[in-house]
Amino acid sequence: MLTEVLTRVAVVVGIMLPISIALFIGRERLETTFTEWRARLRISGPVLVVLGIALVLNRMMRRSDPDIGFHMTSAIRDIEGEFILIFQRVANAYLTEYFAWIYVYGYTYLLIFPAVAYFVLSDTRMFRRLLTAYTLNYGLGLVLYLLVIAYGPRNILAGELETVLYDHNPEYQHLTREVNRNTNVFPSLHTSLAATVGIFAYLSRDEYLKWFPVAVVLAVSVIISTMYLGIHWAIDVVAGLALAALCVWLSDVIVGRWSLSASIGRLTGSDGSDGADESDGVDSD
Amino acid sequence: MSERGAASVDTEGERRRGGRSPAISRRAALAGAAGLTMATSGCLSQFRSIVNRDDIDQLSLTITTLPADGDRESIRLAREIAAVLETAGVDTAIEMRSNEEFLRAILINHDFDIYVGQHPGGIDPDFLYESLHSLYADESGWQNPFGFTNLLVDDLLETQREADGEERRDAVETLLEALAVEQPFVPVCTPTEHRLVRADRFEGWADGHLATRGGYLGLEPLTEESSEQLRTVHMDARPSQNLNPLTAEYRDRGTITGLLYDSLATETVTADGDSSLEPWLAEDVEWVDESTLVVELQPDCTFHDGESLTASDVAFSYRFLADTALGGDSSPAPSPRFRGRVAAIDEVEASDEHTLEFAVDAGQAVGEQALTVPILPEHIWRDRADEASVRGVRVAQGTTEAVVTNNFPPVGSGPFQYADHTDREHVTFERFDDHFTLREDVDRPEPTVDELRVQIDPRSTSAIQLLEDDAADVTSSALETYVVDDIDVSEDVELVESPSWTFYHLGFNARKAPFSNPRFRQVVARLLDKAWLVEEVFDGHARPIATPVTEEWVPDGLEWDGEDPEMPFLGSNGDLDVEAARAAFEDAGFRYDSDGTLRVRH
Repeated sequence: MLTEVLTRVAVVVGIMLPISIALFIGRERLETTFTEWRARLRISGPVLVVLGIALVLNRMMRRSDPDIGFHMTSAIRDIEGEFILIFQRVANAYLTEYFAWIYVYGYTYLLIFPAVAYFVLSDTRMFRRLLTAYTLNYGLGLVLYLLVIAYGPRNILAGELETVLYDHNPEYQHLTREVNRNTNVFPSLHTSLAATVGIFAYLSRDEYLKWFPVAVVLAVSVIISTMYLGIHWAIDVVAGLALAALCVWLSDVIVGRWSLSASIGRLTGSDGSDGADESDGVDSD
Repeated sequence: MSERGAASVDTEGERRRGGRSPAISRRAALAGAAGLTMATSGCLSQFRSIVNRDDIDQLSLTITTLPADGDRESIRLAREIAAVLETAGVDTAIEMRSNEEFLRAILINHDFDIYVGQHPGGIDPDFLYESLHSLYADESGWQNPFGFTNLLVDDLLETQREADGEERRDAVETLLEALAVEQPFVPVCTPTEHRLVRADRFEGWADGHLATRGGYLGLEPLTEESSEQLRTVHMDARPSQNLNPLTAEYRDRGTITGLLYDSLATETVTADGDSSLEPWLAEDVEWVDESTLVVELQPDCTFHDGESLTASDVAFSYRFLADTALGGDSSPAPSPRFRGRVAAIDEVEASDEHTLEFAVDAGQAVGEQALTVPILPEHIWRDRADEASVRGVRVAQGTTEAVVTNNFPPVGSGPFQYADHTDREHVTFERFDDHFTLREDVDRPEPTVDELRVQIDPRSTSAIQLLEDDAADVTSSALETYVVDDIDVSEDVELVESPSWTFYHLGFNARKAPFSNPRFRQVVARLLDKAWLVEEVFDGHARPIATPVTEEWVPDGLEWDGEDPEMPFLGSNGDLDVEAARAAFEDAGFRYDSDGTLRVRH
C-alpha cells in the first residue's frame, strides 16, 4: 500500500511540475540552465550534501525512541483549550477532500517546485538559501521533537474530530505514521516548511510574480490543513511559523558568509541529489 | 527510563517544596514577629496551634491513559471522566502514554493517581485474586497494581480460591458484593469484540475465539493459496517488538505468544463465548487426591530448536514463574504475569520424563487454571535468571533478564515457530511440523497453514481496507467500536462478533490519599454514567457492568438493570447532578470551599 501511495504522489507531482515550469519559469531560463547547470551544482554542492545529511538524520532519529523529552500534551491543552475544534464548525466533505489533497500532494509539490525554480535562476544564492532554510527547518524541528513529547489533537479529541485524515484516507498513514512517532507534533514542520516557501516566494516576487500568489494560497492551505485534519495544535502552527521566520533569516545570514563553501563545493563536486526531499517532503507529521 | 524517573522525582520534590516553602516562611515570619508580642502575654501555645496547621488544598489529580492511537475508547472515557470530576470540583489533568509506557507506569512503577484503560480480565473470576490481594501490593506486574489492601477482601479472595462447585459460586458472589462496595477500581463496561474475516479463504472462524490460540488453529483453508499463508492484521505494534510471554508491558492477553508457547491445558473458547478448560500439552490430567494433580505429558514433544521437552522443563517453568531469579536474588522476583495462577501450585515434581505431580494449594477449579501458563525451555531461560544490567544505570531490584528481554527469536514448543520480524511492520511465523497436534492420533485443533503473518497496521480503518482488498484474512485485534457500524459486509468478508472477558475500568492508586479511602472511591464510581458512556464512547458496542467478571459469574444482585445496582449514577443521561455529587462527597467526610472546589488532604 505504501508503494501505491508513493507512486500516486510521484505521478501527481510529476504532472504538476512540468505544467508549473511552463507557467512560471519560461523557456529562456531553462535554456541558460542547460548550459550552466554544472557550475550551479558545483556552487550549491555543499548545501545539497548538508540537506541530504539532515534528511537522513531526521529520518533515523524520528524512528528511534530516545525517551528524553518532556510530556507537554496537557500543557498545550491548558494554553489553547479546544480552539482547534473551530474548524469542525465549517467542516464538510469537500473541504476535507481538499485539505487531505493539500496535506499530501499540495505540500510535496510546494516544497519541490521552488527548488527547481530557484535552480534555474542564474544567481544561485536564492537556491542555496532555500536549501539552507529547509535544512535548518528539519534540524531545529528535530531538536524540538526530541524535547517536546506531545500527542496531536486527533489522539485526544478523537470523538469530536470528524475530519481526521487517517479516517478518511487511511492509506496516507502509510506515508506518515510508519516513519514518524505520533508524538512528533511540536512544531508543525508542514507549517514551517510551507511558510518558508511562502516567504521565499515573496522575496523572489520580482523573478516569479505569478508564483507568489500561488505559493501563498498553497502555503496557507497547508497550514490550515494541519489543524483541520486534526494533526496539529494551533501552538504547533504558531511555533512552525516562528521557526520558518527564523530559518529564512538564518539562511540570509549563513549563505555566502563563508567563502569556504565555494572551495569545498569544488572539491565535493556534484554529489548529493535532491531526490531525497521528494520522498521526505510528505512524511513530516 | 531512569532519566525519566529521576526527572519526575525532581519535579515532585520541587512541587512539594514550592508548595510548602512559602507557607513555612510566612509562618516563620509571623511566628517571629508575632511571637515577640505574644510571648509576653502568655498565649504562645495557642498561637502555635493556630499557625501550625496545614491548610487543605483543592484536590488535583492526573488521569493516566492511552492516546487514540493506542486505545481510542480509553482516551474518550478518560476525557468524559475528567469532565465530571471537574464539575464536581476536582482539578483534573490527563496524561497520555503509549501502550508500553502506560503499562510500565501503571504495573511496574505504580506511578499514577488514577488511570483509565482496558483490563485483560479473566474467564475465571480467580484473576481477582492476583489483582487485589494485599500480599501483592508491593510487587510489579498485573498483581495488584492498585496497591489495594483490605484484610476482609483478602479472606474472601482466598475462600473462593479454595472452594469448588456451588460453594465456590457462593464465595465468588460474596467477594463480588464486597468489591462492589469497596470499589478498588471502577468497572465501567465490557466491550463486544468485532473482527473482520475473509470467508472465501478460510472456514471455521466461529470455532475458536480470535483472542485465544484456538482462533488460529483448525481453520480450514478453502483454496490452495490460502493454505500457504494466514494473513492477520494487528493494530498494535508491540508483537513486532517483543515476544516475551512474561513481559507485562508488551502483552495484553498474550494471544500471539500463546501460539508460540504451549501450556499444559488450554481454555477453549468459541466465538460465542462458551468456554471449557481442556488438556493441551498434557495428554491426561488427573486428581489423585484432593490436592494432588498428576499430569501426563504428550510423548516425545520438542521445542522449536529441536531440544526435547521433558517433565523437568515443565517443573522448571513453574519454579521460574514464581521466582525468575531462581533464588539468586535476596528476595524472590516473581513474573509480572501469571502470578496468581502459579501461586496456586505449592510444588511440582517430575516423577519421570513424562509425568508430573502438582501439590495444589487451592481448590480444583483454581488448581486447574494454573495449568494454562506457558511452558518455557529450561536450557534457554535458566540463564535469564540473572539480574538485567545496563552499564552505568542502577537497575531496580528483582529486574531479571527474564522479565525484560524482548525474546527474539522466541523458542517455545507451540504450533507455530518464529520466522522473521521487522519492528513496527510485521512478525511472521511458520508451522512447527513436529507439533503434537499434527499427529495422526491426536484430535486437537492444529496449525493448518504453512505460514502465519502478523501484519502491523495501526488503525482500524486501514486494517479494514486491507481485508476488503484481499490483502489480509483476519483482523487479530478487535476493531475500534466507532468503525463497526460503517463496515460493509459481503459474501467474502464477514464480521465476527464475540463477547469479551476484558473490561474498561478506572483504577485508583490506593497507595495515595484520598484514593486509599473507599468512601472517596464510592463517590467517584457514582459520578460515572456507565450506560451513557457505553452509548457515547462505544457506540453501544459494549455492556455496562457493576462487577468485572464474565456474565455467567455475575450474581443476581449485581446484574445490570438499567443502572448500576450498587453505585447508581448521581444524575441522569450523562448530566451530573452537581448538588448531589457535592452532597455525596460531603457525606463521605470531604469538604467544599466557597468557590465550589473540593478540598482534600492529600
